[in-house]
Amino acid sequence: MRGQKVSMLLGCALLCSASLLYLGLSGIDCPPPDHAHRHTWADAHLGSTNQSQASPIYYGEDTPLIFIGGFPRSGTTLMRAMLDAHNAVRCGEETRVIPRLLAMRATWSRSARERVRLDEAGVTDQVLDSAVRAFLLEVIIGHGEPAARLCNKDPFALKSLSYLARIFPQAKFVLMLRDGRATVHSMISRKVTISGFDLTSYRDCLTKWSRAVEGMYSQCQGAPEGSCLPVRYEQLVLHPEVEMRKLLSFLGLPWDPAVLHHEDLIGKAGGVSLSKVERSTDQVVNPVNTDALSKWVGHIPSDVLREMDDIAPMLARLGYDPLANPPDYARPDPIIAPNNYTLLKRTETLHPS
Amino acid sequence: MRVSARRVLTGLLILGGISTLTQFLRFCLPCRQPSQGAGEPVTVLVRDGWRVSSDVPLVFVGGVPRSGTTLMRAMLDAHPAVRCGEETRVVPRILGLKLGWAAEKEGVSTKVLDRAVTAFLLQIIAGHGEPAPLLCNKDPFTLKSAKYLAHLFPNSKFLLMLRDGRAAVYSMISRRVTIGGFDLSSYRDCLAKWSRATQAMLTQCTQVGSKRCLAVRYERLVLHPRSTLQTVLKFLGLPWHEGVLHHEEAIGKPGGVSLSKTERSTDQVMRPVNLDALTRWVGHMPPDVMADMDAIAPMLGRLGYDPRANPPNYGQSDPQFLNNTQRLLRGDFKTPVASLHQKGRPLMSIKGSQTER
Repeated sequence: MRGQKVSMLLGCALLCSASLLYLGLSGIDCPPPDHAHRHTWADAHLGSTNQSQASPIYYGEDTPLIFIGGFPRSGTTLMRAMLDAHNAVRCGEETRVIPRLLAMRATWSRSARERVRLDEAGVTDQVLDSAVRAFLLEVIIGHGEPAARLCNKDPFALKSLSYLARIFPQAKFVLMLRDGRATVHSMISRKVTISGFDLTSYRDCLTKWSRAVEGMYSQCQGAPEGSCLPVRYEQLVLHPEVEMRKLLSFLGLPWDPAVLHHEDLIGKAGGVSLSKVERSTDQVVNPVNTDALSKWVGHIPSDVLREMDDIAPMLARLGYDPLANPPDYARPDPIIAPNNYTLLKRTETLHPS
Repeated sequence: MRVSARRVLTGLLILGGISTLTQFLRFCLPCRQPSQGAGEPVTVLVRDGWRVSSDVPLVFVGGVPRSGTTLMRAMLDAHPAVRCGEETRVVPRILGLKLGWAAEKEGVSTKVLDRAVTAFLLQIIAGHGEPAPLLCNKDPFTLKSAKYLAHLFPNSKFLLMLRDGRAAVYSMISRRVTIGGFDLSSYRDCLAKWSRATQAMLTQCTQVGSKRCLAVRYERLVLHPRSTLQTVLKFLGLPWHEGVLHHEEAIGKPGGVSLSKTERSTDQVMRPVNLDALTRWVGHMPPDVMADMDAIAPMLGRLGYDPRANPPNYGQSDPQFLNNTQRLLRGDFKTPVASLHQKGRPLMSIKGSQTER
């Protein structure tokens, strides 16, 4: 009796180790994406072909890409994670190469002399744009699973928002905005290095934040009608359903309740793929929450607080009261339209109250 | 063995346990992403239905600047099956960018990045000129990345232009051709950098292999154009065409040689192939540099250019081409104003302006 038990146990142990070995060595293929759940843009719009789904031939300048961006620490990762949860969208992690290529492209067009030399070489704007487009498409397409709507999130890519709108006329842009004080506090307290930003100085970071956001925001305003939507982080975390319904309607996507529970789809096929090295990963594994809204209060030096409006004029322009610590995010001031802003400023200087 | 119900039950439970464990492990162990069209060539739509793939035959012409790279590409352009065109300027820049990204661990995978770079390069190389059976690109410093390019473009070949470093350096200094990293006020610095750059490119060329990379000497090209070009065309798998020996007749013509008004060799390459520039450097090297020549530029000796000979014997010219040089010295080949191309802008003077490259 005992001998049989022992031999049985031995047999089990052998079977277990054999299967472990087999699994470990051969590797397991990832479960294929749920085909009923997803459809590629190519299938939906061009009819099925026997070309592979990842073929760039079918992705040209009319690809309806979604570009998410904004100043880092403004909820860009949360936004893309929520969109990733939508069954028709795939954003994936930051590519990091896209903003660098766009920056290089921008320097080539800035110098008039260089433009002449490039033109003489037959490397016209049209040729350069085709090349940049081809590069971006290969990166965005190859970066993750296929999806009906492809999306990219690299915060500073939107420094070239106008250019992207020109080379991808069907693209949509989501510009994340946030109270600069919260953004800068997040950067400094979490030591998120951004080149050119002095993490020991709230003043320096707030000044540069204001300038960077102004650049992106004005491009968003100047983009073709209906192509760029600014989204406020505070509103997104306070009223996620309202904001997401507005956003999905803007993007021309049907409602999908999964976007309100992105945390359930992390690491799943067709869901949210997170990066091990990105700085927001540890926050975005949690459901949408308001924890980070006012963490900045009490951390900004008093001299900076006093001069807040001069240091960061974009605060007031975006509807964040520079003198309120914190403002009531639940009752947001409207974003001031550019024309009204200059009028307001003039009135203030004439009648200082 | 007696089979009792209890034993069967135990057996089933054990099997059930093993299968549950296996399923559990399946989720725990990392799964393999199915490869996305691993070997598929990158294809781009250049214009009007003209599609180009990364397995297209391509030739990259390069070398240290002032080594005859423009002459070589102009002669190839005169062949009806080839189109090189002007220096794109951006090809080396994207390659440099990619080199800087090689260290990145996260972001996009190397495979995706390679495809993206391939797509970019194809658009530039194909898009900046007319179609041709053999597309070609001439940006001197691309040969520093020959191995990488050979990987991206499986049917690509490479032509590395080599020249006596003293001649190349004299040319860049006397003509004030700005080249990144070269200090034009110092023969010593330029010769040392020439040696290092040449060594790097030659190493790449060797690693790519003799079937795909051919080193061509400028001196041999201008002294024996016919036999040198026969070797080059054979290497590229192209039939002979007399036109390559008279590239100056194809300038500005469709299917011929397109020149850039802002490139520094344009005024020279508008003339027929000649020996004018072979030994111009003699007498211009500072004596202290001449004394240390072998130490400063070890590649001179290694390539067979005697560092102590001023000049070395480059060889005897072919008689029919000797005529070209004589006619040149007589003043026969003045800039033909109309034949450059019809872009309607004022031409650069033959002496060359002081503009930067």
